[in-house]
Amino acid sequence: MSSNVSILDLKPSPHLDVQSAPYLLDLNLNQIIAKINLLWEYSDVSKFFQYFPLDEECEAYRRQIYQDVKKPAVYEGLLEVMGLLQEMQEAKSKKAQDLSPLQKSVWHIHHGKLYCDVIQKLGQVLGDGSLSSDGLRNVSDYIKSYLETPAFREMNQELNAVLNALSSYRFTLTYENNRVTLSEPVENREADYETFLDENISKARGDLRSPFLAKPQISDFENEYLEVLYKKDSQFFKSIGKIEKTYASFEDEAIMNFLSEITFYLSYRKYQLLMEDRNFHFCMPNTDEEQSMSASGLYDLALATVTMYENRPVVSNDFFYDKGESFFVLTGPNQGGKTTFARSLGQLVYLTKMGLDVPASHANVHYFKTILTHFSVEESVETGRGKLKEELVRLAPMMDGSKSKCFVIINELFTTAATYDAEIMGKKVLNYFINQDCFGIYVTHLWELTKAHEKVCSLSAMLDENNKQSFKIARKQATETACAFQQVNKYHLNYDELKERLKKN
Amino acid sequence: MKTCLLYEDNDYLTDSPYFDSKSIIQDLGLNTLFLCASKKVIYEKTFVKSVKKEDPYILKTMQKVMMIPLRTEEQMLYRQEIVQDCINNEDMIRDLYAQSELLLAEWNKLGRSLKDKMGNRNPVVTLMNDIQLLSLFVNHLHNIRAILDYHHVNFKSRGLNALRDRLHEEFSNEFEQNLRKLLKDISFYTEGLTEEPDPDRTTITTPRIVLECTIENGLKLSSISLKEMSSEQKKFHKPGGAIDKVQQFMSSQIPDSFSTIKKSAVKEDISQLEFQVVNYIMSSTVPFMSSFSNFFDQLHQQTAFYVGALNLHQQIGRFDVATCYPTVCPKNELSFQDLKELVMVMEQRIKAISNSCSLKNKMLLIVTGANQGGKSTFLRSIGIAQIMMQSGLMVPASQYQSALFPSFFTHFTRREDSEMNSGRLDEELNRMNQIIDNIGENSLVLLNESFATTTEKDGSVIAYDIIKALIEADVKILTVTHLLNFAQRMYQETKEDVNTTVTFLSAERKENGERTFRMIDHAPELTSFGLDLYDSIVENRDKTE
Repeated sequence: MSSNVSILDLKPSPHLDVQSAPYLLDLNLNQIIAKINLLWEYSDVSKFFQYFPLDEECEAYRRQIYQDVKKPAVYEGLLEVMGLLQEMQEAKSKKAQDLSPLQKSVWHIHHGKLYCDVIQKLGQVLGDGSLSSDGLRNVSDYIKSYLETPAFREMNQELNAVLNALSSYRFTLTYENNRVTLSEPVENREADYETFLDENISKARGDLRSPFLAKPQISDFENEYLEVLYKKDSQFFKSIGKIEKTYASFEDEAIMNFLSEITFYLSYRKYQLLMEDRNFHFCMPNTDEEQSMSASGLYDLALATVTMYENRPVVSNDFFYDKGESFFVLTGPNQGGKTTFARSLGQLVYLTKMGLDVPASHANVHYFKTILTHFSVEESVETGRGKLKEELVRLAPMMDGSKSKCFVIINELFTTAATYDAEIMGKKVLNYFINQDCFGIYVTHLWELTKAHEKVCSLSAMLDENNKQSFKIARKQATETACAFQQVNKYHLNYDELKERLKKN
Repeated sequence: MKTCLLYEDNDYLTDSPYFDSKSIIQDLGLNTLFLCASKKVIYEKTFVKSVKKEDPYILKTMQKVMMIPLRTEEQMLYRQEIVQDCINNEDMIRDLYAQSELLLAEWNKLGRSLKDKMGNRNPVVTLMNDIQLLSLFVNHLHNIRAILDYHHVNFKSRGLNALRDRLHEEFSNEFEQNLRKLLKDISFYTEGLTEEPDPDRTTITTPRIVLECTIENGLKLSSISLKEMSSEQKKFHKPGGAIDKVQQFMSSQIPDSFSTIKKSAVKEDISQLEFQVVNYIMSSTVPFMSSFSNFFDQLHQQTAFYVGALNLHQQIGRFDVATCYPTVCPKNELSFQDLKELVMVMEQRIKAISNSCSLKNKMLLIVTGANQGGKSTFLRSIGIAQIMMQSGLMVPASQYQSALFPSFFTHFTRREDSEMNSGRLDEELNRMNQIIDNIGENSLVLLNESFATTTEKDGSVIAYDIIKALIEADVKILTVTHLLNFAQRMYQETKEDVNTTVTFLSAERKENGERTFRMIDHAPELTSFGLDLYDSIVENRDKTE
């Protein structure tokens, strides 16, 4: 591994600078990312989830790595590495505090020793030969040769020796008559107060904690006995400072970069395992361009995340774009699961592009350059713009002529415009994206749009046998009457129901 | 550590109290009883010298404990044994009560209730209080154990014997000595707090602490273990004085050592270390303290009940009232001899009429008869005895045999407030409805002039329906009634039936109209002899005029 290859981006991504793309909010991806970040206690990983890799090849590169990370031995091992890494960071941060030079040296040595532990553990986790991704195999090779360098071995040995000596350093303090005397520990002491307490009072008791641990600095009392120790063992304490200077800097940039980037995969894995524990399924998406784009058992991952602890069922749906189809127009009753379905489609494309597993039991996803979304928002009082104008202002940059091969999600456009106008504008928008070779979904209450283009496939949110929302989405030609009846039934206003309801009064 | 003087296996009053104990207390006038129980009678020879002011805690306890009925004969016998031991060893129970009360008072002074309210107090003060409290616990437990040891040859009750055994087990002599050693070892920390102040300051208590430790976590004092701890009383020498100077010089010669008083910052640090060590040692007493933390509250409450029982016994002794321990029989039986209405005795300090009665295979007793003939008194006397029996006390009769009725209700209507008024009837029926909701196994209902708030005709029908339904549900009912239609109807229905579970009593009225206030077997009549009363009051007045 050369030091500038990333396990996130095989080639540098141009999207790195993209700041909070609209789709993150519209698809509720920010809720998912927030949850992942919350679960991941070691560091902030949200920045990794904000941008797409460069191209198909880069996406596949990540996908391979993620499949490696999913292996239990690799995942568990890397989590242990993360634990050690955190200890190392703590030691490092202590070093930065306002301490005596000797204390700083000791923390530096701790930092170095833990660094060695991290690398060794990493070598052990990645070195067992089970890896199949190019990305991780590269790292594994790099670590292997790094571990074998004499410099590393020597450092590891010497630092451990110093720390062992320090931690086995025991002595006795006797406090009486306003004086503390230091002496060697007494072996096989006759009367030990802890034994007295154990045998005659209780074994259950608190810890005897030093009152000076709250502050990292050496207290005046500690300073007094350290002075005595320095005098008695000056050789040993001088060697500590020397060793610090020998190993003044040691962190390998490439390895540290890897340890940062791997958290992208680990944090998503941790989240995925939690969701799987709650019976939400995931799969690795296929990316076969020859087969039609489809998924089965697809659900809204953000909704699942938010309602995870409520034991509410989350509806899943199947879909496919048949040959020659590239856009869904989804109609149906309000609160029928239309937006949820549109979001789950967008999440499917997003997670596939990120190289991660998707919330479905099976999926085949085509390559898209990016995701474009347009969701209606509450009318903004501040901007003072009318809703239609506001929508158009947001729509314009999506249609600036350079957006070919994108995945487009449009939710309830032009709801405030006259139906006649809305229908014409909607058709224009649909035709534009279809002609740009885009795929997507258009959620609307205008059933006429289902006939806007030959590549449009009509989907409908279905009611169950009791005319209740089932939140199921199916391929169905929408008609004006169907739409109207659904509304009537939803409110239980049909003739039979009304009779029944009125009889009770 | 459990006290278990009220129940053999439980310290807490977990059983539910009587449903609507407020009405029971009011209907039976039990507050008078509670008040008497809370006053100690002081005798001189056999004469009453004085009666002490009431003890509010005993009053409260009697009210609480007596309103929670015992469920089984076994429970009743368990308490009766202890009551008898307390009567035989009066000082013992009063001393136990006093010891627990004393400790609780001291504990409050140390801020027991404050500690619960505000968690954040000066930790040093808290620690010092804990040490003092430990010392209090040890001293009082020692005393309580001594009291029980002194009297135990006379104990016949399982409860008191078991309490003594448990105390010996959980607070043995040896354990006490170890706790005392611990207290002595850390005595330097509370010097001046516990002993009398020493104006001359001739001695000083100083600690000796030996610790073994490491320098980890960045050369910080770590992995401390306590090797030695002791406090020693030494002669006090004035700082800067000649002897002090000599000692200072001597100690400065000790190699590998440093002074803890030369620099004030070190002095502050060492006091923190002292705190940690003492706190650590005290933490080992937490299991002991928490196992006894409720003991004194429990002992206080439970001995309060027996002191109350003892007071009550002595109060009863002032009047000419026989007492006995009641016994248990099947629930369709009830028999007693020389039963007196205790509350009336105590309130009016008169020699009341006693009643005797023996009922077998009876579930409904209907008392009718002359007004002012003692019917209500009769009913109350049974109610009071029943409550006393069901809390393990002696009853005011020479013999009393009844079943235990944990589900006990009173439904009293007092004549004086029985205006005919639909609101009142509604209230009555509402109360009855609540009673019906709460009827359980082994229920006893005392009805006193129920449904007198409507016409006799209507009241009779209501009473008949309700009472009929209740006895068919195997509920025992004792009722005093002026509803003669109802009584007659019951009588007609049952007079031919030799196996009837219904029986009738009547207030005795002699030929000349004189009332004896005794109840006799008597079929209900259609008059309650109000005419007599009318005669004696109205007619006689006319004559005297």
